Amino acid sequence: MNDAAYAAVAAQPSTASRAVDYNEAIVKKFVIASIFWGVVAFLVGIYIATELAWPQFNLDQYVNFGRLRPVHTSAAIFAFGGCALFGTSFYVVQRTCRARLFGGEALANFVFWGYQFFIVMAALSYVMGYSKSQEYAEPPWHIDVWLTVVWVAYAVIFIGTLLKRQEPHIYVANWFYLAFILTVAVLHIGNNIYLPISVYSANAYSLTAGVQNAMIQWWYGHNAVGFFLTAGFLGMMYYFIPKAANRPVYSYRLSIVHFWSLIFLYIWAGPHHLHWTALPDWTQTLGAAFSIMLWMPSWGGMINGIMTLSGAWDKLRTDPGLRFSVTAVGFYGMSTFEGPVMSVRDVNALAHYTDWVIGHVHSGALGWVAFITFGALYYLVPVLWKREALYSTRLASWHYWIATLGIVFYITSMWVAGIMEGLMWRAYDKFGFLQYSFAESVVAVHPYYVIRLMGGWMFFIGALIMVYNFIMTVYSQSTAPRDAVLPAGLAVAGE
Amino acid sequence: MGLEIGDLIIGLSMLAFSLVGLFLAAGAHDNEMYVFGLSLAGWGTVFVFGLLHRYFDRRDAARVAISVRGEQPHE
Repeated sequence: MNDAAYAAVAAQPSTASRAVDYNEAIVKKFVIASIFWGVVAFLVGIYIATELAWPQFNLDQYVNFGRLRPVHTSAAIFAFGGCALFGTSFYVVQRTCRARLFGGEALANFVFWGYQFFIVMAALSYVMGYSKSQEYAEPPWHIDVWLTVVWVAYAVIFIGTLLKRQEPHIYVANWFYLAFILTVAVLHIGNNIYLPISVYSANAYSLTAGVQNAMIQWWYGHNAVGFFLTAGFLGMMYYFIPKAANRPVYSYRLSIVHFWSLIFLYIWAGPHHLHWTALPDWTQTLGAAFSIMLWMPSWGGMINGIMTLSGAWDKLRTDPGLRFSVTAVGFYGMSTFEGPVMSVRDVNALAHYTDWVIGHVHSGALGWVAFITFGALYYLVPVLWKREALYSTRLASWHYWIATLGIVFYITSMWVAGIMEGLMWRAYDKFGFLQYSFAESVVAVHPYYVIRLMGGWMFFIGALIMVYNFIMTVYSQSTAPRDAVLPAGLAVAGE
Repeated sequence: MGLEIGDLIIGLSMLAFSLVGLFLAAGAHDNEMYVFGLSLAGWGTVFVFGLLHRYFDRRDAARVAISVRGEQPHE
């Protein structure tokens, strides 16, 4: 569309005056759930970091590291991140399509409570010692089946809303959300084809074994990162940064190039998790090559997100929520540079199985996923509860600085620990013997595990400050009526 | 203020899920399936009560709107 066509669409008064009764109750529920699960995930993270630093904290079989680790990862990715994605996608798709959610209140509530049921059941199964032992795909088969049912209902609502939209254009944020929904469905089903030993038993056998199983697992695992933790949250970025900055997306054309290139390239990158294994060499090369190519679309998206602030940089001083979002995009750029570097075989030989990987994951999980979510939450809570502003921007600033410092402690300690581990494991003496035993490397990283724990505590304290701020915002007296429908047009985020 | 078709479909689905949960718990070979089955049955039942609760809430709200303020119900 050229400028004249945009102007013609913007001048149409019909859509601006059309009132739509959005389903905001379901968005509120997911926002509350996301905040709750975020606190749970950070708390469990702190506990297992304590267990790693001081193993005597492995008090009992139900709370040992092996069982609580998937509780932490699932709570962070699927509960905290997942609820944020469900909530924001329902908010964004309604606003940008100018349509109430498809399927009615009951279906939306089914998705909400069904997803909460999945989270609780998955966590219970890990604590009870039932797991498929596939990273990020630990739930037993029957819980996977349940998630499939809930996910199909989610897709029906989202796609149904897109189909009944009153806006001719599908805003780019919805493209990313849709890619997230469809691809995660394919990944989840593809990686969880299991044959249960009985319909009444939680135990099941995978259709594949050995290297084929590993390949499918990391096709799933890496694309869980690519489509759950990246594409979905990019949808969040493309809506909430323009809204908070009150500026249009820097380049809408770049966002489309970003979308298609990211979607095409990500799906091939999984084999880089299996360098120097029994996986065929050509497959490892393919994974590394596509991982390096991924750098370009990732940075294209980062530039698009950051440059959206052109002309509105001053808002970073006054809007801590926007500061969270923009810092998140910075971390996104950093971790999507680090990832391709780590996928190079020679770098991977040093980094694999070390804490460098943990540092990399957390620069993405805390810096990108959590920060972009915090930015969206700081925008959404006053809007959804119809308050004029946050209870305290000062507290939000405190949250920002404490959490940022926490991330710095976390990732720098893990970089140092990881590189040290890699160097110790490969060191030989003049006789050709290994210079260090594994136990020596464990002792050497202890101080860095303590520093990591401090970083985790800071991130958790920041989250508690946010919770207090939100509670006070919701209970604050200063209510301001807000219209459900914002002015139409193309100025900001497709609205 | 009639029954919405979505409520009916979800309610019947919940009934089916609850029954499946009861069968899974009844025949469970391990603790995990027992806990999951019972939880599914309980969850489905509570969800149906929620549907009933919301249905009567909407009906009461509509009745109040008509009788007290003389307005037409929203839905």
